[in-house]
Amino acid sequence: MTRNVVVTGYGVVSPIGAAAASFRDGLANGKCGIETDAFSIEELSITLPGAQVRDIDDRIDALGPALKRADRVSQMAVLAADEAIAHAGLEVDDETGARTACIIGSGIGGQGSFDRTYYDMLKKERRPHPLTILRVIPNAPASHVSIRHGLRGPSFAIASACASATHSIGVCADIIRGGSADVGLAGASEAVLTYGALEAWNAMRILADETCRPFSKNRNGLSIGEGAGVLVLEEEGHAKVRGASILARLSGFGMNADGKDMINPSMEGAAACMQAALQTVEINDPSAVYINAHGTGTFLNDPTETKAIRETFGAGADDLIVSSTKSMHGHLLGAAGGIEAIAAITALETGVVPPTINLDEPDPDCDLNYAPNEAVERRIDVAVSNSFAFGGMNAAAVFEKA
Amino acid sequence: MADDIEKPLLDIIQEHAVGLTAPLTRETQIADLGIDSFSIVEIIYEVEEKLNVEVPFNANENPFGDMSTVGDLVDALQNLINK
Repeated sequence: MTRNVVVTGYGVVSPIGAAAASFRDGLANGKCGIETDAFSIEELSITLPGAQVRDIDDRIDALGPALKRADRVSQMAVLAADEAIAHAGLEVDDETGARTACIIGSGIGGQGSFDRTYYDMLKKERRPHPLTILRVIPNAPASHVSIRHGLRGPSFAIASACASATHSIGVCADIIRGGSADVGLAGASEAVLTYGALEAWNAMRILADETCRPFSKNRNGLSIGEGAGVLVLEEEGHAKVRGASILARLSGFGMNADGKDMINPSMEGAAACMQAALQTVEINDPSAVYINAHGTGTFLNDPTETKAIRETFGAGADDLIVSSTKSMHGHLLGAAGGIEAIAAITALETGVVPPTINLDEPDPDCDLNYAPNEAVERRIDVAVSNSFAFGGMNAAAVFEKA
Repeated sequence: MADDIEKPLLDIIQEHAVGLTAPLTRETQIADLGIDSFSIVEIIYEVEEKLNVEVPFNANENPFGDMSTVGDLVDALQNLINK
């Protein structure tokens, strides 16, 4: 018997809204969370555009002592997971806990704790704090969520750079389909708006000088953001028995690797990934399909992804609606696919497609309908979330209306 | 020596005693402090940093044995420091 996977809840911590409702409003209103600011540790500082999560300090304090001393990457994961579990109305008793997976990824892990430790060791000749390892390990967010909610099914972190969250969603769904769990928390968290990490990103020379302008001819790079996005995935029968609201179906998932280059994306790899994700999905009307693009705003990604979408949808590509919400919330790296999956599901739920903002100069090489600058009201039946990572690791998830 | 550091030791323990509602004394039960598996390691780190002493503690050797009160913990820390 086929075990179908549905979405019954989600939680968001993002630069345009630190909870699902404010995130949804931010998307609909084309809110930009990218601002130029100084990111510092003591006397070391770098100033560049970044998308910070604001006003969550009180919520972090309320998480209690174990999380107060965790890294921000774990704190944001827990805030998103708490909201997702509440949204799903999931009561985790002993039996449910044993059958609930927790797959929460991160591109890096506890970057702020790395920075602090090395600063103290190298600049101040101080010893590392004894909790440093527990703060920096990339599975810390998954572990904190698992411990806090008593989730005792399969649990680990996935690290595939900018595809971490989307891989987590797909792998968690496979775990549920395979029967090792009935429910799963899936997503990722990222907190790399730190001096050390931003110097390293800046060294790659791919950051935008002012803001992120996906698919616009004047685009000149990505803007790093922080946050977390977590879904509650559930076997359909399990969700129905407990009377949960089904928000969307996870009806397709594809993953592959370019096998070519650490930086340059491959049109063939991205297209094959989307085609794999759509294999199990019937599309009758391309105008009811929304693609939340990877859309980084880099010189190479946007035309390559555009061609891959054309390759995948053929003549139907002109009827699709595509957008890059990274123009608003920045690139959350490992966590990007988590909040972007939620943006995709929101479009299914509300019929409001989030825009690509900062799209002020059309590029002949980016020739799809990107919902430029303003949200579009349209019935959406199928929503695709693309994530294409450095290192050529691709993942795409497809959600359908419940 | 022992008397000089008892007060700062108690202060550091107090900072970590997030579950404590009554005043901290030597007679307070460790179980009432609300501390978890890593609090001891954190407390020792802070003792070393703040008091500029060395505490030769290895978490694998369980040098604290069966302690029940804060007084037991303070005495064990003092013994390690005086080693």
